[in-house]
Amino acid sequence: MAGQREHWGSKLGVILAVAGSAVGLGNFLRYPAKMALNGGGAFMIPYLIAFLLLGIPLMWMEWTLGRMGGQRGFGTATSIFASVTRNSMVARILGAIGIMGPFIILVYYTFIESWTLAYAYFAFTGKLTTMGDQEGMKAFLSGYQGLVANEHFSGIWTAYIFFTITFLLNFYFIYRGIQGGIEKLSRIGMPILLILAVLLVIRTLSLGTPDPAQPELSITNALNFIYTPDLASLGNAKVWLEAAGQIFFTLSIGMGVIIAYASYLKKDDDVVLSGLSAASTNEFCEVVLGGSVVIPAAFVFLGAAGTMEVAKSGLFNIGFVTMPLIFGKIPLGALFAGVWFLLLFIAGITSSVSMVQPAMSFMQDELKVSRKKATGILGLIAFLACQPAIFFLGHGFVDELDFWGGTVFLVLFATVETIIFGWVIGIEKAWEEMHQGADIRIPSAYKFIIKYVTPLYLFAILGAWSYQQFIPTILMEGVAEADKPYIWGARLLVFGGLAAIIALTMYAARWMKNDRSAGGAA
Amino acid sequence: MNTEAIIFMALSWGSIVTLLIFSYYRMFRKK
Repeated sequence: MAGQREHWGSKLGVILAVAGSAVGLGNFLRYPAKMALNGGGAFMIPYLIAFLLLGIPLMWMEWTLGRMGGQRGFGTATSIFASVTRNSMVARILGAIGIMGPFIILVYYTFIESWTLAYAYFAFTGKLTTMGDQEGMKAFLSGYQGLVANEHFSGIWTAYIFFTITFLLNFYFIYRGIQGGIEKLSRIGMPILLILAVLLVIRTLSLGTPDPAQPELSITNALNFIYTPDLASLGNAKVWLEAAGQIFFTLSIGMGVIIAYASYLKKDDDVVLSGLSAASTNEFCEVVLGGSVVIPAAFVFLGAAGTMEVAKSGLFNIGFVTMPLIFGKIPLGALFAGVWFLLLFIAGITSSVSMVQPAMSFMQDELKVSRKKATGILGLIAFLACQPAIFFLGHGFVDELDFWGGTVFLVLFATVETIIFGWVIGIEKAWEEMHQGADIRIPSAYKFIIKYVTPLYLFAILGAWSYQQFIPTILMEGVAEADKPYIWGARLLVFGGLAAIIALTMYAARWMKNDRSAGGAA
Repeated sequence: MNTEAIIFMALSWGSIVTLLIFSYYRMFRKK
């Protein structure tokens, strides 16, 4: 039997853990690219609106639902949703998304995270900044990923070793528990992450004009390039969708991880100010720090057209091809490249440990498995599930997992929890619940926002996004015939896993009901 | 830098940093 539920050791500890979960690779790679491609400074208007109307309300909802669940002995959306809807089976089933969604992301995220550890090693040992040109760097990455055998790597085994180290590190912190593992990791990791990021921002912003023969390629013009608004872009629905999507990704909302983390709070622990602090820490790491490295550095070496090409080339290309090449052009480049990848690794591991926690809570709270056993069982399942992501990377397997875990499930789960929070629990009761033990009061306008604006915003996103992406992706439009079996394999993993969680939660619900009846009779 | 860029950069950074300072100030002031 699982023992009494754990609690966080301190308020700052839980804030840093939630912020650590939110600050990930996306803050330093995805955000700057999205901003550059979607109107520059003008992107900040839909971005900040989405932050105010989606990000902050969902953050507060998840912190509150999590704390409510913790008081009832649960850390996952399955039981929390069921308990506030008079044991509705539909709500319980929808809650399973909050366990499976982050688990799917974990499956590919850990592998990508392990690249950052490997590249930090390659950078510090001077191997990375000697590649010379883009083609050389791309060949290095493809060789490392095991997509081709070349002069750099004869197979995937170097990547596999770094993956294994990363995976074991993740499960070590999970095994150590909430206070002794995740909180400790966040309390040490987050300050280091901030120091490394500030160091890189200072280095980037002091690049000046690296090539005096090209005075237009200066850091001042780089900031002009980033922040000069293209106001016409605001008329494009895609820009608003991208901004809302970025807010989802960056704050770790709609995943179920904040619910799981908040379930380890005590009854009267504040959720309002803590949620706001975690969100603002993430936004600082994204807008101020994340926005001041990749794009400005790319601009001063590649110019406006080259930077746009980089932004369009995808996250892997930005992080693992362009950035090492740029660092190769500055003094102490190997050191700064190492700092860059170490920063990404810390951002990655503080996020990936959080993705396991809903499944851990589920096993401990609902299936009554001890932490030690749950770590072992989940570690084995996750390790096996990671294998196709590693070996079928070039066949669209990871993209398909990302589509479900990183897009569909996020928006769907957020919509469900918003309706449950504002309409099923009811805004008056939910408002009271949010303010229990609160250090500050939420402006009353948020009553209206949470009840009407956030769900409508989510429905609009769901509708627009379904029209633009969902149907073409479901129908595998543009997918090579040879890759289709891999896409079906990814779908089998996603829905097979979801079905297993649904079956287990229904079994656990029945078992708990019988257990209560037996206890009552006794 | 041009004026438009300065305004948008100041608004973005300013709003985020203000929120950050406010939240941590309120958190530590209580202690």
